[in-house]
Amino acid sequence: MITVVHLYPREMNIYGDTGNVIALRRRLEWRGIPVRVDAVGVGDEYDLLGADIVVAGGGEDLSQMRVADDLQARAGAVRDAVEAGVVFLTVCGTYQLFGHRFVTADGEVIPGIGVFDAETIGGGTRMIGNIVIDSPVGTMVGFENHSGRTMLGSGQAALGTVVRGFGNNDTTGEEGAVVVNAFGTYLHGSVLPKNPLFADDLISRALRRQGESGELQPLDDSVERAAAESAASRP
Amino acid sequence: MRLFAAAALGRLTSALTRLIGRGGSALPGLIAEKLDPHLVEKILGDTPVVLITGTNGKTTTTKMIVSALEANDRKVVTNPTGSNLERGVASALLDASSLKGKLDADVAVFEVDEAAVRSLSPRLNPRVLAVTNLARDQLDRYGELQTTAGHVATAATHAGRLVLNADDPLVASVANTTPVSWFGGTPSIRERMPDDRSLYGDTTEAQPPEADALVVDSQIDGDGQIATIRIDGTEHRIRLQIPGVYNAYNAATAVLVTRLLGVSAADAIPALEAMEPAFGRGQVLEHMGRRVKLLLVKNPASLNHAIEILKGITEHHRVLIAINDEHADGRDVSWLWDTHIEDLAATSHQYLAGGVRAADMALRFKYAGIDAPALPDFADALDLLVDGAPPGATVYIVPTYTAMLRLLEILTPGASRTEVWK
Repeated sequence: MITVVHLYPREMNIYGDTGNVIALRRRLEWRGIPVRVDAVGVGDEYDLLGADIVVAGGGEDLSQMRVADDLQARAGAVRDAVEAGVVFLTVCGTYQLFGHRFVTADGEVIPGIGVFDAETIGGGTRMIGNIVIDSPVGTMVGFENHSGRTMLGSGQAALGTVVRGFGNNDTTGEEGAVVVNAFGTYLHGSVLPKNPLFADDLISRALRRQGESGELQPLDDSVERAAAESAASRP
Repeated sequence: MRLFAAAALGRLTSALTRLIGRGGSALPGLIAEKLDPHLVEKILGDTPVVLITGTNGKTTTTKMIVSALEANDRKVVTNPTGSNLERGVASALLDASSLKGKLDADVAVFEVDEAAVRSLSPRLNPRVLAVTNLARDQLDRYGELQTTAGHVATAATHAGRLVLNADDPLVASVANTTPVSWFGGTPSIRERMPDDRSLYGDTTEAQPPEADALVVDSQIDGDGQIATIRIDGTEHRIRLQIPGVYNAYNAATAVLVTRLLGVSAADAIPALEAMEPAFGRGQVLEHMGRRVKLLLVKNPASLNHAIEILKGITEHHRVLIAINDEHADGRDVSWLWDTHIEDLAATSHQYLAGGVRAADMALRFKYAGIDAPALPDFADALDLLVDGAPPGATVYIVPTYTAMLRLLEILTPGASRTEVWK
């Protein structure tokens, strides 16, 4: 049984982030692995140590502010869960809040929870378009749309390197961040349906933490690959 | 003199663009507005103005209002479908006025984009501003929904009268001290109106304002529907040629607007019933002996509306959902994952995925448990769509904007030109 937590499904869902939950659910179901999805919103009590995979997305500025406060209240619990190996996928807005802080274009500082050794500075031009990166699981594609520039600390591992597009910022060529089993990324589109190897990597990590081998029955991913190729060929 | 020069040059450009076959265009307005930035106000003078804005339904609602006014002998100036920015409004006015800039119209009815309405409303001081709905739209083009709502709220402060959607909390929030006429639906109708409030964190179930025009029923009737709308306690059965509960809302909006301009509901309704679908919005075309029905989609809300229509049809049809990712469609196709495609798994229809992003649509279908081939070539997709349908059958195409233009090039060569200049 894999428990997927959709964190802030109402507030942080702006870029088809629900698609990540759908992808995990289906890929588990297709393999006969029981799955349950819990929605955890602002103010909801939930023991994240009991979760296997936590997914959170991007949101409008107003939503991001509301979520930032709630996230502060759970900062310790989230960091404990990350340390314990719970799998996290944070996209765009929540990725930014999983860093130390987000400094808006107006100079306002929104504190993050410091899971990633990263800082995001808002403003400037919007980094927008289809993006291709190289990652340990292979080539990944997505769509990015952000004005925040995320800079990683010197010891902070990235998720991958940018082949086409911007990624964390417009200078370092890095995209995303990884700590234990927690991932941050600017890729949406949604990211997991079009990147089945990444989706399966998250599932394997969750199963291994349960003491299983993490070996997954292969699926026919031809439709997924076709969509990824099509996205990679678009501006 | 400036107005004269601007109007004359605008008219000349208009004639030229028509001559070279670009169809109705925003270009004349763009040029004329450069010469005289107050061209629009000057041409309009004291002519009463109606502005229609919102995320979805602007074009159909505008067409309904214009049809009802014209049927009641009002001379109307309006902007052509989709030309809903300031320059489109200027072009429409140039077309309807003399070389000296004298307007030959009793009333002006313009559909305007949610951003253009912010700058146009203070200039035009509309007698009526109608807001259809506010839903998440193409994020790479329009930005955040709260910002859009802010634009519309600013516009609302310059209107003489507001016509607002009582069931859409974001629309209702733009109400100010200006008198409001409300349209809405009964609770059972509201359930059939997919909204995406859950997408922006609104979980409140506030009691909506009481509607002056209330949609109480919508039944499929041929290609269209019979909508029952209660206006001031009287129920009107309206036989619309376009399907979808949302079009019953559009009809309610149109009746409220025309009433404010002195045309009674009873006088407006025959025109609404006679109105043919706007470009691509429930339009039916003949192709290879089959009837091809177009349901244009732009964003999660409008695709969910199309899904709602397809769910309501019990007999079997072939359906092509064609997704493009050009600028006019929105470059980001993530929104497909915010739609209720899963609901289609229970229908008896057969689905095909088309458009430049056919592969993304096929993937979305796959994760909804629906097997649909990806056909990025428009001619191939159309062929396969009709080949599998018996002669005389109706097939459905649910396209994004530029996918629709591409399909229309094949279906009716030349017909899409009037839509191209935006």
